[in-house]
Order: sequence, then C-alpha cells, then structure tokens
Amino acid sequence: MSSPMPSPPITSVTRQLSRRSVFEALLHRSPISRADLAKVTSLSKQTMSEVIDAFEQQGLVRSVGRTSGNVGRTAVLYELSPEGGHVLGIDLGARRLTVALADIAGRVLAEADEATDSRGGAWTLDQIARLSDRLARDNHTHPSRIRSIVMATPGVVNPKSGAIEMAPNITGLDHLNVVGLLGEKLGSPVVLENDINLALLGEIWHGCAQNVDNVAFLALGSGVGLGLYINGRLARGENGAAGEIGYLPIGGDPLQAESRLQGCLEYQVGATGVVRRYREAGGSDVDSERQVFEQAQAGDAIAASVVDETARLTALAAAAVIATVDPQLLVLGGSVGARPDFADKVASVLLQLSARPVEIRTSTLGRRAGVVGALSVALRRLHDEFFGVAEFASALPLPPPAQRSARQ
Amino acid sequence: MMGEPDYCFAADLGGTKLAAAIADEHGRIVAELTEPTDPRGAPFVAEQIVGCADKLAQSAGIDVTRARHVMVGIPGAIDPRTGRVSLTPNIAGLEDFDILGFLRGRFGPDVAIENDVNLAMLGEHALGCASRCRNAAFLSLGTGAGLGLLIDNKLFRGASGSAGEIADLPIGRDPTSQIPSAGSTFELEVGSLAIVDRYRRQGGTAAATVRDIFRLLEQGDDVAASVLDTTARSVALAVVTLQSLLDLELIVFGGSIGVRPELYERVRNALPALFSRPITIAPSQLGDRAGLIGAAWAAGRALRQNLEPA
Repeated sequence: MSSPMPSPPITSVTRQLSRRSVFEALLHRSPISRADLAKVTSLSKQTMSEVIDAFEQQGLVRSVGRTSGNVGRTAVLYELSPEGGHVLGIDLGARRLTVALADIAGRVLAEADEATDSRGGAWTLDQIARLSDRLARDNHTHPSRIRSIVMATPGVVNPKSGAIEMAPNITGLDHLNVVGLLGEKLGSPVVLENDINLALLGEIWHGCAQNVDNVAFLALGSGVGLGLYINGRLARGENGAAGEIGYLPIGGDPLQAESRLQGCLEYQVGATGVVRRYREAGGSDVDSERQVFEQAQAGDAIAASVVDETARLTALAAAAVIATVDPQLLVLGGSVGARPDFADKVASVLLQLSARPVEIRTSTLGRRAGVVGALSVALRRLHDEFFGVAEFASALPLPPPAQRSARQ
Repeated sequence: MMGEPDYCFAADLGGTKLAAAIADEHGRIVAELTEPTDPRGAPFVAEQIVGCADKLAQSAGIDVTRARHVMVGIPGAIDPRTGRVSLTPNIAGLEDFDILGFLRGRFGPDVAIENDVNLAMLGEHALGCASRCRNAAFLSLGTGAGLGLLIDNKLFRGASGSAGEIADLPIGRDPTSQIPSAGSTFELEVGSLAIVDRYRRQGGTAAATVRDIFRLLEQGDDVAASVLDTTARSVALAVVTLQSLLDLELIVFGGSIGVRPELYERVRNALPALFSRPITIAPSQLGDRAGLIGAAWAAGRALRQNLEPA
C-alpha cells in the first residue's frame, strides 16, 4: 500500500524473540543448517549468525556434521547440545519412587526407581536425594548442570509451609517443609505438583493423549483421582482442588463419616476399599487389591464380583465426568485403571450409561506417566528461564516424543 | 467515518417462551419483548425470531439492518465444528433444522448461536452475581437440568459442545440397573415432571405443576415439603459432584425451579453434611433474563471486535 517500512531497530525484546525462535526451531527440527534456520525463522542471515554464535559460546548448540549430497557447498548442521542444561523429574508414589533425567532438548537420558522408603518423612527425602544423585553421577552429569527439578506427589502441597498434606499413604511429610528441605538436598529449587496432573501431562507429551486438547485422566490405584486438561491447559480449579474425584457421591452413603473423611467414592474403589469389600463378602485373606484382581482371574467368584463392582463404580464416576466436561478422550490410568481387563469392563458399563460416545484409552506410559509429566514441566520451566519473553507469555511447545537417546 | 450507531440483536429461545432484545454496541438492552414460543416447531420458531427483530426495531425506531450482530440462545448442545444442534427435546424439529444457516440467510453473516445456559453464565459473569469469578457454574433447573461453565475466565463448551449437559449425571435411580427407563437419570430425578410425579406418588393430589407445589408449601402442605426436601437432596448431590470435579468459586442457581428460595435454601442446608469444604451457591441475580442479557452482552462484544481495525 505505502512504501516499505524501514527495518526496526534491534531492541532487546526483538533480540529475545529471535533467540527464542531459533531455539524453538532447533528444538523441533534438529539437525538443521544455518540457512534452513534462517528460512524457518524468517530471520536475516546476519541475525541468525549472531544468535548461533552466542548459543555456541553458551554451550547450547553443537555442530553434528555437514549436509551431504550435491557436489559443491555443504552446510554445517546444528543441534541442541546435551550440555545446554539438564532437568530432573521425580515421581514420589506411596509404593515406588521414580527419578528421570533429560537434557534441554527433551531427550530422556536415564531413569531409575525403587520401593519408597516406608519409614516416610526425612527418610523419604534422603532417599529422593540419594537416588537423584546416583542417577546424575551414573550419567556423568554434575549436579550443577541440573537446572530445573519437578516432583510429582500425591495430596496437596501447602504453599505456606511447603508440606505435603492430604496424602494419607505417605507418612511424615505433612509436618516437614518438603519444598525447602528437598531444594537444599538437591542444590536447586524443586517445584511440587499433583501426581495425577503430572501423569496427565506425561500422557499428553509422550503417551496416549498427544495432540488432544480436552482430556480427562482418571487414575485408579491406591486412591482415585482425576486430571482435567481443558482447551489445552490443566484445570486446577479455584483452590487447586479440581479433580478431587474421590469425593464424588457415588458408591455409598455420602452422609457416612468415612465418606466425608476419605471421600464416598474412594472409600469404595480405593485399594483399601477393594480389599475391605472382598473381605466383607467372605473372600480369602489378602492384603492388597492386586491380589483381589489375581484371585478374580484365577476364578474366585467373590473376587470377580468385587472387581465388577469396582468397574461399575468407576464407570459411574466417568459418566459424571463426561456429562460435566465433555472430554474428547478419557484416559484410564493408575495401577488398577490401566489394566486392560479392568478398562474393558469400565468401557462396557459406560456404553449403557452414556449416549455420548467418548474415546477411551488406557495409559500407555503406565507407571512412568508421572515422571514423564514431571520432566515435561521441568523442561518448560527451563525453556522459560532461558527464553521466556515477558511480552510473549505462552510457553514454547515441547518437542514430540524423542527417540530414547542412545547417547550417554 | 461517523454514521448511525450500530446495534445488535439478541434472543433467548426456550421451550415455552421466546425473549428477544435490541441492544447497543456495548450490549446494553434498549428494547425487549417476550412471546410464547410458536408450538409448530423449528421453521416457525425461526421465522418468529426474525419477526421479533422487526418488531423491536420498529418500536425502538431503528432500521433493522443496523443490527450488525446477532446472538441467539438455543436450549440444546451445539457442536462447535458443525453448528449442529442436538439434545433439544423442547422444540420440535430443531435438531434437523439448520437454524444457523436460516438466520444467516436473513440477518447476514454475523450471526452466532450458543447454548442458552452458557449465555446465562455469561450474563451473570458480565453483569450479575458472578462478576468477580474466574471459575463458576450456572445451574439451570426447570423442565430439565443444564449447566453453563466458566473455567479460567472463559466459557467452556467441551470437546463436542456438550459440556454441562448434566441431564444424565448418574444421580438418582441406579443408571446401571437393568430396568429400562424413558430418559436421563438426573433429569428424571429433579426435572419438573419428576417433581410433580413424586408429589403424586407420596399421596398428594392437589398439584398439576411445580408452581402448585410451591404454593401448597406456603400453605403448610407436608407432602410438598417432603417432595422438595428429596429434590433438594438430589440437587445437592449434583452440586457436590460439580465441586469435586471442578473446584468452583460459585454455583449460580437459575431456571424456573432453581431460582426459588424454597429450593436453593434447602440445597444450601444439605451441603455441609455432604462435603467437608465450603461450597458457595447463590440465586441468579438476573433471573429469567440472564440468558437474554448474556446474549446481548456477547453480541455486543462480537460487534466491537468486528469494528476494531484489523
């Protein structure tokens, strides 16, 4: 329409945005040449060279060979360097503790897990620090290179005291400043997030819910929980208590004391509820819900009816979720929920309950979902620390599931 | 370019009545009317909506073509991808009628349709009792049950436009029982027909409508009180369900039955025994105009966005 605009002066915000877009291109398109980077980002060759030189000095990128092919010029290919920074994901479960290490490009470098120290409290925190240190050491990663740590935990983190509350299956963390103490032990601040929410984010990043904007993740194991991903974001609710599905008035008398304390639904379908109902129905002596499922598979009629009832109540809860939030995808997870035999039962009850067909999948990450989700949040935080631009609030998209790196 | 001011047209279509309004570019209503919904079904109702716009424009002395944006509330779920309307038992033939296409043919391209309870939620958020909320719900109880959801300050419609279609919440009779039923679980528990039916089954004879039951309650009728207690308890269970799932700041009660203090006070009293954390419920501040006010506000917002230089 009018004469071309003169190119704007390089302000610090435009420089930040340039660095950010080059980083994003490297994140998603490595290995890539300077020319292709310039094409993808629409930056001038000169700006591109400045950014790449700066990144090389910072140890963020490295060259990985040259383009091959036609006679004549070849170009150097770049990718993000694993030395650019590392992130640590931790999943503190009532039964198992899992830690995983990834590099800045989202490549998962190593994972380790062991039974959670049942003594709880300070012992658990020591165990987390020990397992994390060992994982870093085995991967020749100096702890100072770990720039971002996120831990999945059951219950609710008290933002004032740093304690983990409402997590009846892990003892002794409700009176400790877990956030503070763990940060000291690991030498870097630790962010705590609800385990179900992180398992959901794990499935969205690497699992069965990739590229879906509205997902409900229903986890059934020791307890029952729900993560909601609504229009591409976690829904946390007004006080962070969204998805407290254990309190749904399903499966019993909501006026009972147990219902009020433990939650009406959880009192029935949580691990202790499954064991209790099996014993009350005259079942043999078992001490875990897994044994009830094994008995059912071995032909124990009482166990089978307890499993059927558990599936029926889970389907009722799922029906309430579907009626209220209309997800595109319902993911069943947790040690019980992700069992294919159990998920099939839930799906068949749901068919009679709801006129609205919803796609149901079982968690593909299983026990790893929480730690993968923790890594995804840790990565976003690291990217934001390096490349966050105040004027541009949305997060960088994470790279798709990286092939598990063969590189040490 | 200065010219005549722009207006918008808003309508809230219900099973028994149709409310319509002309509003200014800020969504403020300048003229409104209410008519009984044409009982002959979708095509006639669609004509009736257009007729309302003409009448209102005439009474306000405005050329109807100055209504630049149109928003119509529909009592059903609207698929965001196709614009298809479903779950509308109260208006014959609406599911098979392209109401959006019809209205665009008459008014031009800037027409939108939206679930009526969603619009009521928007109305309360913009101008009513939910104005400070980021996470809230509008629970409409009348002939049926519906829900509008505000999540993180935005209307939430769900993946297929049927978020909040809570007629089949598993509350009431056991929905997994093998005895077939003629409808949706929760609606069969708290819908107006269910309430009247409950009154008759408990031996009451004098009520043909829920309004009769409210009148009898005032006269000290014990059966009416017991029927409302039972109904309120089921509604309270739905409220507990919503709160467990979404952790809301406020649940607004609306609809012809939902706004009655005889009902929501009973629900409020039932909640503490059912849920250990506090739940805030409040009657709709805009009452039966909530949907129309929300529609006018949404049309005004869309109009202003259209006027902004690109």
